[in-house]
Amino acid sequence: MRFIPILRNSDRIRVFLVSATMILGALGSAHAASLPQIVHARQEHFRMLGRTAKSLRDQFGRRRLNWAAIGSDAQALDRLASELPSWFPPGSGQGHGVKTRARAVIWTNPQAFAQAAHMLLFRAQGLTRAAAHHDRRALMLNARALGHACGSCHSRFRAHSGWW
Amino acid sequence: MPAARRIRVWDLPTRIAHWSIVSLFGVCWWTAKSDHMQWHRLAGYGMLAAVWFRLAWGFWGGETARFGHFVRGPGTTLQYVRKLFARGDEAAPAPIGHNPLGALSILAMVGLLLTQTTFGLFAVNVDGFASGPLSRWVSYSAGRRFAHWHGANFNLLLVVVAIHLTAIGFYRWIRKERLIPAMIHGHKTVSAPIQEPYFVPWWRAIALATGIGICVALIANIGSLA
Ligand code: HEC
Ligand code: HEM
Ligand code: HEM
Repeated sequence: MRFIPILRNSDRIRVFLVSATMILGALGSAHAASLPQIVHARQEHFRMLGRTAKSLRDQFGRRRLNWAAIGSDAQALDRLASELPSWFPPGSGQGHGVKTRARAVIWTNPQAFAQAAHMLLFRAQGLTRAAAHHDRRALMLNARALGHACGSCHSRFRAHSGWW
Repeated sequence: MPAARRIRVWDLPTRIAHWSIVSLFGVCWWTAKSDHMQWHRLAGYGMLAAVWFRLAWGFWGGETARFGHFVRGPGTTLQYVRKLFARGDEAAPAPIGHNPLGALSILAMVGLLLTQTTFGLFAVNVDGFASGPLSRWVSYSAGRRFAHWHGANFNLLLVVVAIHLTAIGFYRWIRKERLIPAMIHGHKTVSAPIQEPYFVPWWRAIALATGIGICVALIANIGSLA
């Protein structure tokens, strides 16, 4: 190599390894700095999910349903549900020094978690369809199942609070 | 000393209210922990009715159930506490109804149960679906706050119930008074010359229970009425 004639091949490998380590280290510390932000954003997304689910539910008792409002809530749920898996990058769960209730099993059993997330998406899509067809029965059925999809994922992948 | 006689101390409505509260407490606890929110809400409505009934019965019920009869001032209560551990003639006499100290724990339990059910009416479940019937008039974050208070208040309830059960054990094994059978069949055997408490006609309990039942049913279904 003309630019660094003093380096032998073995030295080049060493330089490469050292700089690769430094770059990865820098990336790693950048990652560590943004971990609280990742978790915070995730929890904010979940609160949005809850707010939207409540907004949808609050319209149910009415004799005449407001299908336009229901449809837009259902679509918002649909979109959030499809994004949900991306809120869980590796290393953003419990045991990484950040306050979160995301259990490690999310990453040790990724298929089960993906399945739970998919169940939510499936029900949100059902809601969107029911809203488009003004189908009250299908709406109620999917709404109840959606609530169940939230609860069953929480019971497996979200740490419990309280000592009883 | 006059001969021992068997007298009635707790009327049937008081006993039904108590054992309903006990079983509903267990059902509420279990359904909340196992995430059976549909059932939790139903049991909660039952609890709401039972607690409201006990409250009303404290004003219009039989003598031993009335708050005015068993809630005493701090002076009487302290005097009773001082004699609680004494023996023989010095010992505090066993009142036929609640004693002044028990009165405090009853006020605490009824008060906390009232708070618990009220918070429950406004609580929003994490999933936003299984929520209290009045939660639609509060925001999501306010409803979540009610749910947290609902959980915190439950811890307080557990503490007071533990004290309640400990006290019953204390009377059973230290003071040799059996309180539980009386709460089941309503009678106590006494030898002291005391006047029997008065009771009220049964239809008053039916009327109160009906009125309260209608109110609770209206609250439970308020979403489809509004
Ligand atoms: C695939 C799994 C999964 C599904 C489905 C799911 N959640 Fe969650 N949820 C989680 C996990 C894991 C956490 C913990 C996140 C954390 O603490 O970092 C959580 C946390 C939350 C939180 C608390 C956020 C905070 O403030 O800390 C809310 C609210 C929430 N979810 C609402 C919902 C609602 C509403 C639904 C259904 C419409 C739902 N979730 C469906 C996994 C899921
Ligand atoms: C009108 C009556 C009631 C209603 C509508 C109601 C409603 C609710 C709701 C919506 C939740 C979910 C909150 C959450 O997800 O964090 C909840 C949780 C709970 N409720 Fe109730 N409830 C009622 C009465 C009671 C009573 C009487 C008790 C106990 C004596 C009780 C004990 C609990 C417990 C222990 C939880 C779990 C709290 C937690 O996990 O943080 N509830 N209730
Ligand atoms: C297995 C459990 C329980 C037993 C054996 C039990 C037993 C009793 C007994 C014997 C009394 C009468 C006390 C006296 O003579 O002064 C009483 C009163 C009372 N208990 Fe319990 N109890 C139990 C659980 C509970 C629970 C869980 C609650 C509420 C959350 C509760 C609330 C009350 C109240 C409010 C009274 C006052 C009764 C009235 O005047 O109506 N108890 N209990």
